[in-house]
Amino acid sequence: MQSQKELFISHELFSKDPFEIVSNPIFQRIYEIYDKVSQYIREFLNKNGFLEFKSILLGPVTDPGIRGAKQITVDYYGKEYKIMSSAILYKQFLAAARKKSGKEGKIYFFADNLRLEPLETASMDRHLVEFIQVDLEIADADHFDAMKIAEELLFYVISRVKENEKELKMIWEFFQPYWESRGLKQRTELKLPKLPLKRYTHKEAVDILKNTIQENPNYFEQIKRLFKIEPKKISYTTEIHWEYEWLISSINEEPFFIYDYPRGARGFYDREYPDKPGILMDFDLIYPEGYGEAASGAAREYEINKVIQRMKETGERLEKYKWYLEFLKNHGIPTAGFGIGLERLVRYICALPSIYLTLPYPKIPGIYNL
Amino acid sequence: MNVDYPIKEIIQRARLGRKSIYPFKNEKFKFSIFGATIYQENKRFFTLDDIIITPPQFTPLRLKKAIELVNREPIYHDVETKSEIGGFKTSIPFIQSSMGSQDDWNIVSVYSAKACAKKGVIYGIGENVASTWGYDKRINDNQPCFIERILSYLDNCKEDLGGVVIQQNEEDAFDELWNKIYSDKRLDQYIQEGKIAFEIKAGQGAKAGLGGEKIVDRMTAKRLKDKYIIYPDPDSVDAEYYERHSSPDIFTEEILYNRIRKIKNDYPRVKVWLKTGPYRDLDCVIDIASKAGADCVVIDGKEGGTGMSPTIALQDLGLPALACLKKIYDARKRGVTTSLVLSGRLYNGSHLVKAVGLGASGIAAGRAFLISSYAYPLSEKVISSNLYSNPIIRAIQKILRIPNEKSIQFISNYIETVEIETKMLVSAVGKYNIKDLKNEDFASFYKEIAQMFQIKYIYESEMIEKHFEKQLFDDFKNIYPNKS
Repeated sequence: MQSQKELFISHELFSKDPFEIVSNPIFQRIYEIYDKVSQYIREFLNKNGFLEFKSILLGPVTDPGIRGAKQITVDYYGKEYKIMSSAILYKQFLAAARKKSGKEGKIYFFADNLRLEPLETASMDRHLVEFIQVDLEIADADHFDAMKIAEELLFYVISRVKENEKELKMIWEFFQPYWESRGLKQRTELKLPKLPLKRYTHKEAVDILKNTIQENPNYFEQIKRLFKIEPKKISYTTEIHWEYEWLISSINEEPFFIYDYPRGARGFYDREYPDKPGILMDFDLIYPEGYGEAASGAAREYEINKVIQRMKETGERLEKYKWYLEFLKNHGIPTAGFGIGLERLVRYICALPSIYLTLPYPKIPGIYNL
Repeated sequence: MNVDYPIKEIIQRARLGRKSIYPFKNEKFKFSIFGATIYQENKRFFTLDDIIITPPQFTPLRLKKAIELVNREPIYHDVETKSEIGGFKTSIPFIQSSMGSQDDWNIVSVYSAKACAKKGVIYGIGENVASTWGYDKRINDNQPCFIERILSYLDNCKEDLGGVVIQQNEEDAFDELWNKIYSDKRLDQYIQEGKIAFEIKAGQGAKAGLGGEKIVDRMTAKRLKDKYIIYPDPDSVDAEYYERHSSPDIFTEEILYNRIRKIKNDYPRVKVWLKTGPYRDLDCVIDIASKAGADCVVIDGKEGGTGMSPTIALQDLGLPALACLKKIYDARKRGVTTSLVLSGRLYNGSHLVKAVGLGASGIAAGRAFLISSYAYPLSEKVISSNLYSNPIIRAIQKILRIPNEKSIQFISNYIETVEIETKMLVSAVGKYNIKDLKNEDFASFYKEIAQMFQIKYIYESEMIEKHFEKQLFDDFKNIYPNKS
């Protein structure tokens, strides 16, 4: 067990004999949970009036707002096309189109996403290059509406998955030595979160982090040790860096939201409050116990003048977004939505040491395996 | 168009290194009868050459340095030139500007990278390199690709000195250059060590307000057609050459501020630099960049070099470097502490000393590095020729200019001459750290310039007398403290 535990941490699990791992009964149980979680999500969304669309793979342009991660370019009959890093631009398009047709403008994808994440993320245990994001969008809604759907979705999935608690316990026990080696307790029960979930503004979250570190400076050492990185500066004007997201996640016992991020933190499509310049109408849903970000969402910027201004702030070339800008100019309406990572949700439910254990063919940033 | 860049002077430096600091090679006279020249060319506008450095007789800091050294008199090589610019440490506040994809430069840029790394000097990589010559695979067998340029520098870097500054313009953004770099395994160690800066290109001296301008052949034009505006259409028109235009990008105060913030947010492990041009609203640009947390602003005066620019733009767009230096000077007065670098026909130790003494964190040069790398025999004639009109000269160039490792030595020599001159000039004003330079060390031939920088006008006798009285009085007090 000791040697296996080391393997989990070193990402080398799949470099030896992947078949041995994938055929292991515990891993097969994880894959079963993965399948069930997918079913529960579909159940919830369909009950709530969402229509599923086939995941889109290629386009002339994809989501650029992915913190330092690289997109993948392919040759498409002589033109450069991108493999989707998220379905964000198409979501807005579909929700608006469905609404225009007279239906409820609620749509979703089980979107296959590819992102060549920065190498530093390999040690965070929660980034995969290839992953599925349940990406949904609601017409005529804002971020608060989207947050409500997000917490209800999470509540529904957890209440359904609890029916499989016997299987879950076997998985939890299997990984118990790993958590003990880190001085942490393994989970013995999956609690249903109380709704509504706690909601912190970005500013409140930064204050909590600052106070936590002030009171317990050992956290710096812990971050260095766990993730082998130099902790960055915490700032009111930038995204909460991954290491701090882990920290705020660790000190919470229930899932929670952080909302109202500063403008520089997100892509051009997260809408800025018309009456609060510099603050975005967006949110992250965060798991407790150190599992970090679950979902990320926002009300969308749909007014053409604002979108162009924001695109220039991110150094984007307008020609690249031709179809999207023309769609917004002629048909743009308010929408809001979020994307929830399927593998992260499974990792949280199964209490796995790392996200890559959720897939039989994981792609970890910078690691070459199957 | 008349090219008045001091090509011969640069080539001498690159070939002879420190020997070129002295005017030995004067064959007109038998005896050594050197002295200051009293003539100057008929210029259109003032330059840094209209300021002179004014050493004093009394040099208390030289005395202090002697006490520090204990057993010998200080000379010029005791001058400390190490500086910190834009988050990097550098042996001398001299930067190889972010020069782009122009083919004559690209082919030698790897040698310059090695020389700059060896000398501990910051090295810039301009826009369009990856999109023109390939990111990590050569598009043209003779031309190094982007990754070769960056690794030629980083792999030869001295441990704590230097850094590489990488531009991304709109077209590069199309190819996601910065994202590629940020997740490139080969560069990860250097990102971790803090050796990389991303530079927003918001302007260039030689074509202020215009986008990138380049002349390309038909094959290149066809390849670049999707990403740039090409004239004429290479698919239907067979022309001698094709114009490749890129857009000048769009900024408002808000866009600039937020773009800097966004880079800091998305790439927290790199430094953020801004390259701007000789704009009339530079004051505001500097303040916004500084407020947004940029690590460095590079300001390129209208005399700045270029691979290609319309004649009318070279002639009539933008503020001269001296006017840009004034903007830097004013920014310091407003309390701006961000690194501010000046460029635009600055190529020697004197330019460096004047710019730094009047508020700049350092100077950047481009053409001087290009010319140095071609300092082979006969190169003066070839470099001076018009590049695009004479096919015979172009053919001769190709034969004569086969770049090789010698360029590393040429560029090292050139950097060394700038370094020695800088040290000599700083020591001449009785100072031994470049950071101690102040406006007291300079004067100008022109009242306007003296007023601009609050330096002395050289013929201002009143100032001289006042200073004299005060100095005497202070010294008197020091020698006889009890006799007030």
